[in-house]
Amino acid sequence: MEEIKVNIFNLVGNGDCTLPEDGDKIFDILKKTLNDDKKVIISFKNINSITSAFLNSAVGKLYGEFEESKIKESLKIEDMLIEDKIILKRVISGAKLYFEDPERMINSIKKILGEEDE
Amino acid sequence: MSTEYTLSNIHNDFDGYNKLINFYDKYQNDDLETVDLSLNTWFDANLSAVLGGILDQLNKSNRIGFVGISPSIQKILQKNGFLIHFGFDRTNDTYHTTIKYLKLKPTDSRFFNNYVQTDLFNRAELPQMSEAVKKKISESILEMFVNAQIHSETEFIYTCGQFFPQRDEIIFTIVDTGIGFAKRIEINLNQIVSSTQAIKWAITEGHTTKQGTPGGIGLAILKDFIVQNNGKIQIISGDAMYQLENGTETYSEFNNYFNGTIINMIFKTNDTTLYCLAEEIDNSELF
Repeated sequence: MEEIKVNIFNLVGNGDCTLPEDGDKIFDILKKTLNDDKKVIISFKNINSITSAFLNSAVGKLYGEFEESKIKESLKIEDMLIEDKIILKRVISGAKLYFEDPERMINSIKKILGEEDE
Repeated sequence: MSTEYTLSNIHNDFDGYNKLINFYDKYQNDDLETVDLSLNTWFDANLSAVLGGILDQLNKSNRIGFVGISPSIQKILQKNGFLIHFGFDRTNDTYHTTIKYLKLKPTDSRFFNNYVQTDLFNRAELPQMSEAVKKKISESILEMFVNAQIHSETEFIYTCGQFFPQRDEIIFTIVDTGIGFAKRIEINLNQIVSSTQAIKWAITEGHTTKQGTPGGIGLAILKDFIVQNNGKIQIISGDAMYQLENGTETYSEFNNYFNGTIINMIFKTNDTTLYCLAEEIDNSELF
Protein backbone atom coordinates (compact mmCIF):
# COMPACT_ATOMS: atom_id res chain seq x y z
CA MET A 1 0.00 0.00 0.00
CA GLU A 2 1.36 3.42 -0.96
CA GLU A 3 2.39 5.62 1.98
CA ILE A 4 2.28 9.40 2.04
CA LYS A 5 3.31 11.93 4.65
CA VAL A 6 0.99 14.72 5.76
CA ASN A 7 2.91 17.60 7.27
CA ILE A 8 0.53 19.39 9.62
CA PHE A 9 2.76 22.45 10.09
CA ASN A 10 2.83 23.10 6.37
CA LEU A 11 -0.90 22.54 5.89
CA VAL A 12 -1.94 24.75 8.81
CA GLY A 13 0.73 27.30 7.94
CA ASN A 14 2.24 27.52 11.43
CA GLY A 15 2.67 25.53 14.63
CA ASP A 16 -0.71 26.43 15.99
CA CYS A 17 -3.27 23.63 15.75
CA THR A 18 -6.11 25.19 17.71
CA LEU A 19 -8.84 26.10 15.25
CA PRO A 20 -11.43 23.54 14.14
CA GLU A 21 -11.47 25.01 10.63
CA ASP A 22 -7.79 24.08 10.28
CA GLY A 23 -8.71 20.61 11.52
CA ASP A 24 -11.33 20.39 8.77
CA LYS A 25 -8.61 20.95 6.13
CA ILE A 26 -6.61 18.04 7.55
CA PHE A 27 -9.75 15.89 7.71
CA ASP A 28 -10.44 16.43 4.00
CA ILE A 29 -6.92 15.30 3.12
CA LEU A 30 -7.00 12.27 5.40
CA LYS A 31 -10.42 11.26 4.12
CA LYS A 32 -9.25 11.41 0.53
CA THR A 33 -6.10 9.39 1.19
CA LEU A 34 -8.02 6.74 3.10
CA ASN A 35 -10.56 6.55 0.29
CA ASP A 36 -7.62 6.06 -2.08
CA ASP A 37 -6.42 3.18 0.12
CA LYS A 38 -3.16 4.90 0.95
CA LYS A 39 -1.32 4.78 4.23
CA VAL A 40 -0.69 8.13 5.90
CA ILE A 41 2.03 9.30 8.25
CA ILE A 42 0.72 12.39 10.02
CA SER A 43 3.68 14.49 11.08
CA PHE A 44 3.23 16.90 13.98
CA LYS A 45 6.80 18.14 13.77
CA ASN A 46 7.18 21.74 15.02
CA ILE A 47 3.60 21.91 16.28
CA ASN A 48 3.57 23.80 19.56
CA SER A 49 -0.10 24.14 20.41
CA ILE A 50 -3.04 21.79 20.00
CA THR A 51 -6.68 21.85 21.08
CA SER A 52 -9.15 19.00 21.25
CA ALA A 53 -11.40 21.04 18.94
CA PHE A 54 -8.73 20.85 16.21
CA LEU A 55 -8.15 17.12 16.73
CA ASN A 56 -11.85 16.32 16.74
CA SER A 57 -12.26 18.03 13.39
CA ALA A 58 -9.07 16.57 11.89
CA VAL A 59 -9.11 13.00 13.22
CA GLY A 60 -12.23 12.39 15.35
CA LYS A 61 -14.59 12.84 12.39
CA LEU A 62 -12.84 10.03 10.50
CA TYR A 63 -14.60 7.52 12.79
CA GLY A 64 -17.89 8.63 11.25
CA GLU A 65 -16.57 7.79 7.78
CA PHE A 66 -14.37 4.71 8.15
CA GLU A 67 -14.18 1.48 10.13
CA GLU A 68 -11.90 1.59 13.14
CA SER A 69 -9.75 -1.20 11.64
CA LYS A 70 -9.25 0.76 8.44
CA ILE A 71 -8.13 3.85 10.38
CA LYS A 72 -5.83 1.80 12.58
CA GLU A 73 -4.06 0.14 9.67
CA SER A 74 -3.83 3.34 7.59
CA LEU A 75 -2.78 6.11 9.97
CA LYS A 76 0.45 6.60 11.82
CA ILE A 77 1.45 9.55 14.01
CA GLU A 78 4.95 10.98 13.96
CA ASP A 79 6.76 13.63 16.03
CA MET A 80 3.86 14.33 18.33
CA LEU A 81 4.58 15.42 21.90
CA ILE A 82 3.47 12.87 24.47
CA GLU A 83 1.12 15.38 26.18
CA ASP A 84 -0.53 16.05 22.81
CA LYS A 85 -0.84 12.30 22.19
CA ILE A 86 -2.72 12.01 25.48
CA ILE A 87 -5.24 14.58 24.18
CA LEU A 88 -5.45 12.75 20.84
CA LYS A 89 -6.13 9.47 22.63
CA ARG A 90 -9.01 11.08 24.55
CA VAL A 91 -10.35 12.59 21.32
CA ILE A 92 -10.26 9.21 19.56
CA SER A 93 -11.90 7.36 22.47
CA GLY A 94 -14.64 10.01 22.52
CA ALA A 95 -15.10 9.87 18.75
CA LYS A 96 -15.58 6.08 18.81
CA LEU A 97 -18.28 6.41 21.46
CA TYR A 98 -19.91 9.34 19.64
CA PHE A 99 -20.33 7.47 16.36
CA GLU A 100 -21.09 4.12 17.99
CA ASP A 101 -24.38 5.33 19.46
CA PRO A 102 -26.15 8.27 17.75
CA GLU A 103 -28.65 8.48 20.62
CA ARG A 104 -25.93 8.77 23.24
CA MET A 105 -26.12 12.57 23.60
CA ILE A 106 -29.90 12.64 24.00
CA ASN A 107 -29.80 9.73 26.44
CA SER A 108 -27.08 11.38 28.52
CA ILE A 109 -29.24 14.50 28.89
CA LYS A 110 -32.26 12.39 29.83
CA LYS A 111 -30.11 10.67 32.43
CA ILE A 112 -29.20 14.02 34.02
CA LEU A 113 -32.86 15.09 33.92
CA GLY A 114 -33.83 11.77 35.53
CA GLU A 115 -31.25 12.12 38.28
CA GLU A 116 -32.63 15.55 39.16
CA ASP A 117 -36.19 14.22 39.32
CA GLU A 118 -35.31 11.45 41.78
CA MET B 1 -33.58 62.05 33.63
CA SER B 2 -30.88 59.67 34.68
CA THR B 3 -30.71 57.06 37.39
CA GLU B 4 -27.69 56.05 39.41
CA TYR B 5 -26.35 52.57 39.93
CA THR B 6 -23.37 51.48 41.97
CA LEU B 7 -21.35 48.30 41.66
CA SER B 8 -19.43 47.94 44.88
CA ASN B 9 -16.86 45.40 46.01
CA ILE B 10 -16.87 43.09 42.97
CA HIS B 11 -14.67 40.03 43.40
CA ASN B 12 -14.28 36.74 41.51
CA ASP B 13 -16.92 35.00 43.59
CA PHE B 14 -20.64 34.24 43.67
CA ASP B 15 -21.44 37.58 45.32
CA GLY B 16 -19.47 39.50 42.67
CA TYR B 17 -21.13 37.73 39.75
CA ASN B 18 -24.52 38.10 41.43
CA LYS B 19 -24.10 41.87 41.64
CA LEU B 20 -23.09 42.07 37.97
CA ILE B 21 -26.01 39.89 36.87
CA ASN B 22 -28.46 41.92 38.98
CA PHE B 23 -27.21 45.08 37.27
CA TYR B 24 -27.70 43.45 33.87
CA ASP B 25 -31.17 42.25 34.82
CA LYS B 26 -32.31 45.64 36.09
CA TYR B 27 -31.80 47.42 32.77
CA GLN B 28 -31.89 44.70 30.12
CA ASN B 29 -35.54 45.32 29.24
CA ASP B 30 -35.41 49.10 29.54
CA ASP B 31 -35.39 51.48 26.61
CA LEU B 32 -33.45 54.72 26.54
CA GLU B 33 -32.69 54.69 30.22
CA THR B 34 -29.73 56.90 31.11
CA VAL B 35 -27.70 55.29 33.84
CA ASP B 36 -24.82 56.86 35.75
CA LEU B 37 -22.70 53.93 36.83
CA SER B 38 -20.29 54.06 39.74
CA LEU B 39 -17.66 51.52 40.72
CA ASN B 40 -16.31 51.63 44.22
CA THR B 41 -14.43 49.76 46.97
CA TRP B 42 -13.03 46.96 44.77
CA PHE B 43 -13.35 45.61 41.25
CA ASP B 44 -11.32 42.55 40.21
CA ALA B 45 -9.72 43.73 36.95
CA ASN B 46 -10.29 40.50 34.99
CA LEU B 47 -14.04 41.00 35.50
CA SER B 48 -13.77 43.86 32.99
CA ALA B 49 -14.59 41.10 30.49
CA VAL B 50 -17.94 40.50 32.22
CA LEU B 51 -18.75 44.18 32.66
CA GLY B 52 -17.78 44.88 29.04
CA GLY B 53 -20.18 42.22 27.78
CA ILE B 54 -22.98 43.47 30.02
CA LEU B 55 -22.51 47.13 29.07
CA ASP B 56 -22.55 46.30 25.36
CA GLN B 57 -25.85 44.47 25.79
CA LEU B 58 -27.42 47.21 27.89
CA ASN B 59 -26.15 50.02 25.69
CA LYS B 60 -28.06 48.63 22.72
CA SER B 61 -31.13 50.33 24.15
CA ASN B 62 -29.82 52.47 27.02
CA ARG B 63 -27.13 55.03 27.66
CA ILE B 64 -24.86 53.91 30.43
CA GLY B 65 -21.87 56.01 31.38
CA PHE B 66 -19.39 56.01 34.19
CA VAL B 67 -19.78 58.90 36.62
CA GLY B 68 -17.89 57.82 39.68
CA ILE B 69 -15.07 55.34 39.76
CA SER B 70 -12.88 55.18 42.82
CA PRO B 71 -9.29 56.23 41.90
CA SER B 72 -7.66 52.82 42.48
CA ILE B 73 -10.26 51.03 40.32
CA GLN B 74 -10.06 53.69 37.60
CA LYS B 75 -6.28 53.34 37.53
CA ILE B 76 -6.27 49.61 36.91
CA LEU B 77 -9.17 49.68 34.43
CA GLN B 78 -7.30 52.33 32.45
CA LYS B 79 -4.12 50.26 32.59
CA ASN B 80 -5.82 47.16 31.23
CA GLY B 81 -7.46 49.16 28.47
CA PHE B 82 -11.06 48.57 29.55
CA LEU B 83 -11.96 52.21 30.14
CA ILE B 84 -10.56 53.37 26.79
CA HIS B 85 -13.68 51.75 25.28
CA PHE B 86 -15.67 54.31 27.24
CA GLY B 87 -13.73 57.47 26.41
CA PHE B 88 -11.00 57.36 29.06
CA ASP B 89 -7.26 57.65 28.33
CA ARG B 90 -5.00 54.63 28.54
CA THR B 91 -2.35 54.81 31.25
CA ASN B 92 0.94 52.99 31.45
CA ASP B 93 1.10 49.75 33.42
CA THR B 94 4.29 50.32 35.43
CA TYR B 95 4.23 46.94 37.15
CA HIS B 96 3.05 45.08 34.06
CA THR B 97 0.56 42.99 35.99
CA THR B 98 -2.43 43.69 33.79
CA ILE B 99 -3.61 41.44 30.97
CA LYS B 100 -5.35 43.68 28.52
CA TYR B 101 -9.07 43.74 27.93
CA LEU B 102 -10.01 42.54 24.46
CA LYS B 103 -13.33 42.75 22.66
CA LEU B 104 -13.15 40.43 19.69
CA LYS B 105 -15.41 39.10 17.01
CA PRO B 106 -15.66 35.29 17.09
CA THR B 107 -13.94 35.33 13.69
CA ASP B 108 -10.90 36.98 15.30
CA SER B 109 -9.70 33.64 16.62
CA ARG B 110 -6.43 33.81 14.65
CA PHE B 111 -5.65 37.19 16.14
CA PHE B 112 -6.51 35.81 19.59
CA ASN B 113 -4.26 32.77 19.08
CA ASN B 114 -1.42 35.02 18.07
CA TYR B 115 -2.08 37.28 21.04
CA VAL B 116 -2.00 34.35 23.51
CA GLN B 117 1.12 32.80 21.96
CA THR B 118 3.12 35.99 21.56
CA ASP B 119 1.86 38.87 23.72
CA LEU B 120 0.56 37.00 26.73
CA PHE B 121 3.24 34.40 27.23
CA ASN B 122 6.30 36.23 25.97
CA ARG B 123 6.33 38.91 28.60
CA ALA B 124 9.43 39.25 30.75
CA GLU B 125 7.32 40.16 33.77
CA LEU B 126 5.39 36.89 33.62
CA PRO B 127 5.71 34.89 36.84
CA GLN B 128 8.27 32.08 36.61
CA MET B 129 6.66 28.95 35.25
CA SER B 130 7.71 25.82 33.48
CA GLU B 131 7.27 25.47 29.73
CA ALA B 132 4.86 22.59 30.36
CA VAL B 133 2.59 24.76 32.51
CA LYS B 134 2.80 27.65 30.06
CA LYS B 135 1.70 25.33 27.25
CA LYS B 136 -1.18 23.89 29.30
CA ILE B 137 -2.41 27.34 30.34
CA SER B 138 -2.27 28.75 26.81
CA GLU B 139 -4.05 25.71 25.36
CA SER B 140 -6.75 25.93 28.04
CA ILE B 141 -7.39 29.56 27.15
CA LEU B 142 -7.46 28.83 23.41
CA GLU B 143 -9.75 25.83 23.90
CA MET B 144 -12.29 27.97 25.81
CA PHE B 145 -12.14 30.73 23.18
CA VAL B 146 -12.83 28.18 20.44
CA ASN B 147 -15.75 26.81 22.48
CA ALA B 148 -17.30 30.27 22.66
CA GLN B 149 -16.67 30.75 18.94
CA ILE B 150 -18.33 27.45 17.98
CA HIS B 151 -21.26 27.23 20.35
CA SER B 152 -22.40 30.60 21.62
CA GLU B 153 -23.68 32.59 18.60
CA THR B 154 -22.26 35.66 20.32
CA GLU B 155 -21.61 38.93 18.54
CA PHE B 156 -18.39 39.53 20.49
CA ILE B 157 -16.12 37.58 22.81
CA TYR B 158 -14.67 39.55 25.72
CA THR B 159 -11.43 38.54 27.43
CA CYS B 160 -9.37 39.98 30.23
CA GLY B 161 -6.98 38.76 32.88
CA GLN B 162 -4.63 39.74 35.62
CA PHE B 163 -1.27 38.55 36.97
CA PHE B 164 -0.83 38.21 40.69
CA PRO B 165 2.95 37.71 41.11
CA GLN B 166 2.72 37.59 44.92
CA ARG B 167 0.08 34.87 44.80
CA ASP B 168 1.70 33.03 41.85
CA GLU B 169 -1.56 33.26 39.92
CA ILE B 170 -2.85 34.19 36.51
CA ILE B 171 -6.56 34.82 36.16
CA PHE B 172 -8.06 34.75 32.70
CA THR B 173 -11.72 35.36 31.88
CA ILE B 174 -13.58 34.67 28.64
CA VAL B 175 -17.11 35.96 28.25
CA ASP B 176 -19.69 35.63 25.52
CA THR B 177 -23.13 37.18 25.38
CA GLY B 178 -24.59 34.42 23.25
CA ILE B 179 -27.26 31.87 23.95
CA GLY B 180 -25.73 29.99 26.90
CA PHE B 181 -25.41 26.24 27.51
CA ALA B 182 -29.09 25.46 28.18
CA LYS B 183 -30.39 27.15 25.03
CA ARG B 184 -27.71 25.45 22.93
CA ILE B 185 -28.90 22.06 24.21
CA GLU B 186 -32.50 23.03 23.53
CA ILE B 187 -31.74 24.12 19.94
CA ASN B 188 -29.40 21.28 18.96
CA LEU B 189 -30.77 18.37 20.96
CA ASN B 190 -34.35 19.48 21.57
CA GLN B 191 -34.16 18.98 25.33
CA ILE B 192 -35.28 21.53 27.92
CA VAL B 193 -32.83 21.66 30.80
CA SER B 194 -32.09 24.09 33.62
CA SER B 195 -28.88 26.11 33.54
CA THR B 196 -27.41 23.91 36.28
CA GLN B 197 -28.31 20.73 34.42
CA ALA B 198 -26.85 22.21 31.23
CA ILE B 199 -23.50 22.98 32.87
CA LYS B 200 -23.42 19.52 34.53
CA TRP B 201 -24.00 17.90 31.17
CA ALA B 202 -21.55 20.10 29.25
CA ILE B 203 -18.59 19.54 31.58
CA THR B 204 -18.86 15.75 31.28
CA GLU B 205 -16.29 14.28 28.90
CA GLY B 206 -17.64 13.42 25.46
CA HIS B 207 -20.82 15.48 25.72
CA THR B 208 -21.27 17.78 22.77
CA THR B 209 -24.09 19.54 20.95
CA LYS B 210 -22.12 19.52 17.69
CA GLN B 211 -23.79 17.57 14.90
CA GLY B 212 -21.63 15.15 12.95
CA THR B 213 -18.42 16.09 14.77
CA PRO B 214 -17.43 14.51 18.06
CA GLY B 215 -16.36 16.83 20.86
CA GLY B 216 -16.83 17.60 24.51
CA ILE B 217 -13.22 17.08 25.49
CA GLY B 218 -12.10 20.68 26.04
CA LEU B 219 -13.84 21.36 29.34
CA ALA B 220 -12.93 17.88 30.64
CA ILE B 221 -9.25 18.48 29.84
CA LEU B 222 -9.42 21.91 31.48
CA LYS B 223 -10.98 20.38 34.61
CA ASP B 224 -8.25 17.74 34.87
CA PHE B 225 -5.53 20.34 34.42
CA ILE B 226 -7.06 22.71 36.99
CA VAL B 227 -7.18 19.90 39.57
CA GLN B 228 -3.51 18.99 38.98
CA ASN B 229 -2.51 22.65 38.87
CA ASN B 230 -4.41 23.40 42.11
CA GLY B 231 -6.20 26.22 40.33
CA LYS B 232 -9.86 27.10 40.07
CA ILE B 233 -12.58 27.29 37.40
CA GLN B 234 -15.84 29.16 37.56
CA ILE B 235 -18.46 28.76 34.85
CA ILE B 236 -21.52 30.97 34.79
CA SER B 237 -24.21 30.32 32.21
CA GLY B 238 -27.83 31.44 32.44
CA ASP B 239 -28.71 31.54 36.13
CA ALA B 240 -26.22 28.92 37.32
CA MET B 241 -22.66 28.95 38.54
CA TYR B 242 -20.26 26.01 38.69
CA GLN B 243 -17.03 26.13 40.60
CA LEU B 244 -14.17 23.65 40.82
CA GLU B 245 -11.66 24.34 43.57
CA ASN B 246 -9.43 21.97 45.54
CA GLY B 247 -10.98 19.09 43.63
CA THR B 248 -14.47 19.98 44.89
CA GLU B 249 -17.28 20.88 42.50
CA THR B 250 -20.12 23.12 43.64
CA TYR B 251 -23.20 24.53 41.91
CA SER B 252 -25.08 27.69 42.87
CA GLU B 253 -28.01 29.55 41.36
CA PHE B 254 -28.57 33.26 40.89
CA ASN B 255 -31.95 34.98 41.18
CA ASN B 256 -31.50 36.50 37.75
CA TYR B 257 -30.35 35.26 34.35
CA PHE B 258 -27.23 36.11 32.35
CA ASN B 259 -27.65 35.67 28.61
CA GLY B 260 -24.30 34.18 27.82
CA THR B 261 -21.43 32.33 29.43
CA ILE B 262 -18.54 33.37 31.64
CA ILE B 263 -15.49 31.12 31.95
CA ASN B 264 -13.11 32.24 34.67
CA MET B 265 -9.85 30.32 35.02
CA ILE B 266 -7.41 30.78 37.86
CA PHE B 267 -4.05 29.13 37.20
CA LYS B 268 -1.19 28.63 39.64
CA THR B 269 2.08 29.65 38.02
CA ASN B 270 4.35 28.00 40.61
CA ASP B 271 3.19 24.54 39.49
CA THR B 272 6.15 22.18 39.06
CA THR B 273 4.10 19.24 37.74
CA LEU B 274 5.60 17.59 34.68
CA TYR B 275 2.62 17.10 32.43
CA CYS B 276 4.29 14.63 30.10
CA LEU B 277 5.32 11.77 32.37
CA ALA B 278 2.89 9.30 30.85
CA GLU B 279 4.35 6.30 29.09
CA GLU B 280 4.77 6.36 25.34
CA ILE B 281 1.54 5.62 23.47
CA ASP B 282 2.10 3.54 20.38
CA ASN B 283 0.04 3.57 17.23
CA SER B 284 -1.90 0.41 17.98
CA GLU B 285 -3.17 1.87 21.26
CA LEU B 286 -3.92 5.27 19.76
CA PHE B 287 -6.34 4.39 17.00
